[in-house]
Amino acid sequence: MKVTWKIADGTSISAEVATGVSLMEAAIANNVPRITGDCGGNLACATCHVFVDPDWVDKVGPPDGMEDGMLDMTEVGRAQHSRLSCQIIASEDLDGLVLHVPV
Amino acid sequence: MTVWAPTDNGHADITSHDSYLEGVPHNTFARLRRDDPLHWTEYSQGKAFWSVTRHADILAMNAKPAIFSSAQGIRMEDQTYEEYLARRTFQETDAPEHMMTRMKVAKAFSGPVIAGFEEAIRQLCAEILDEALSVSEFDATKTIARQLPMRMLGRILGLPDEDLPWLVEKGDALIANTDPDFTTHVLDKMTTHEFRMMPFNSPAGAELYVYAKDLMARKAAAGENDGVLNMILQPGKDGSTITDEEFRNFFCLLVAAGNDTTRYSIAAGIQAMCHQPELLDQMRSDTAIWETAGDEIIRWATPAIYFRRTATEDVEMHGKTIRARDKVIYWFASGNRDEAAFETPFKVDLSRKPNRHLSFGQGGPHVCLGMWLARLEVKILFQELAKRLGSIEAAGPHKFLRSNFVGGIKELPVRIKRC
Repeated sequence: MKVTWKIADGTSISAEVATGVSLMEAAIANNVPRITGDCGGNLACATCHVFVDPDWVDKVGPPDGMEDGMLDMTEVGRAQHSRLSCQIIASEDLDGLVLHVPV
Repeated sequence: MTVWAPTDNGHADITSHDSYLEGVPHNTFARLRRDDPLHWTEYSQGKAFWSVTRHADILAMNAKPAIFSSAQGIRMEDQTYEEYLARRTFQETDAPEHMMTRMKVAKAFSGPVIAGFEEAIRQLCAEILDEALSVSEFDATKTIARQLPMRMLGRILGLPDEDLPWLVEKGDALIANTDPDFTTHVLDKMTTHEFRMMPFNSPAGAELYVYAKDLMARKAAAGENDGVLNMILQPGKDGSTITDEEFRNFFCLLVAAGNDTTRYSIAAGIQAMCHQPELLDQMRSDTAIWETAGDEIIRWATPAIYFRRTATEDVEMHGKTIRARDKVIYWFASGNRDEAAFETPFKVDLSRKPNRHLSFGQGGPHVCLGMWLARLEVKILFQELAKRLGSIEAAGPHKFLRSNFVGGIKELPVRIKRC
């Protein structure tokens, strides 16, 4: 699938991501700024926070309980379409996905 | 010029505390990374274990906490199950228990909450530095590095200022329990088992326990019910509450881990400034450097040299088999000098980016709870220090802690000129 990270300075990074890989891992592999994934996808750090583009919110879905708790601890605070990208797994359904990286 | 060059012969006993008296034996770790990245390591004080020394391996294994468990101890030493139960904190638990406890305290240490301390930290740094820099020669570990984390922890936990020196002394006795300068009960030379049920196998654990209980009683009597300590006493989402023993151990963890790790990051950064004079120039002239400088100083320091896990199943790796129940040690100090992960790993590069260092145990669920606070304290301390310094140099040899676990410069004589 193809994913695009939109960065606050107006630039963006696009990459092909293999099915089954988390979008936190994909962000690190593609040097997306500000996404560090410090806990390795174990829901302990909130350092892979992204805002899902409004057009994709329905397909990506809402956070579950533990992720919901961790979203209160993100560096910039949570917003309407906040997700932890370690919990979004690449699949063909999400081909073309757009994520916004917090400032 | 490099800041510090390892002097070991490449075949040091990495389990021996004495091997760390001249700093981490990095020549030995470099050889292991190159020739034997999953090294079966004999250990005179207990069961042998696997040493993991490459950055990529540590990251990959740390992300698999179900296979490499924290719930059988996180230090090299072996513990009986009974000792483990008595001494464990949430560092020594796995999912789901780990996250249930961690969530109780995580908010208080999260990025946005810690960011609110920025001005308080800056003010403390100014006080500490104005006093320390009033003379031209001093021990920078003692008068700068040791002061900030101690006083900041006091603020966060709501402890009276007059108690802080005593607490830090006890925290040092706990975590530097292998250095005779910090404890009279040197762990690997102890002849008694009297304290084996106490946090860190130390009598200081017993004293801190009594202190924590008294403190909570005083706070309750005064109607004070805010702060981190009260937060963890509240029932969790499932209605469970923390036990007395868990509370005692968590308090000891905060006092110990909240003090010396940031202290030794600051000390290592100051030592680097003594030997790489361009660092001060960069700090003074390039404001963009502060986005990356703190993490580089923390990489350079690597205050937690290792943490241990225990395999829960057989794992094939590098042509060898880690058996279920084998101890596995992630050598963060080695990963942070891995040539495959960092260009010029033995040089401090304040603009290093990306900087995927492992000092906070990145890559696993036990990633340092205090990392936001540590990063902010380190950044602000060096910002305020650079503002005040014209020059800094070593005024004598520095001394490392006697510990295979805590990497730190315990004595750092410096000579300064103010600007």
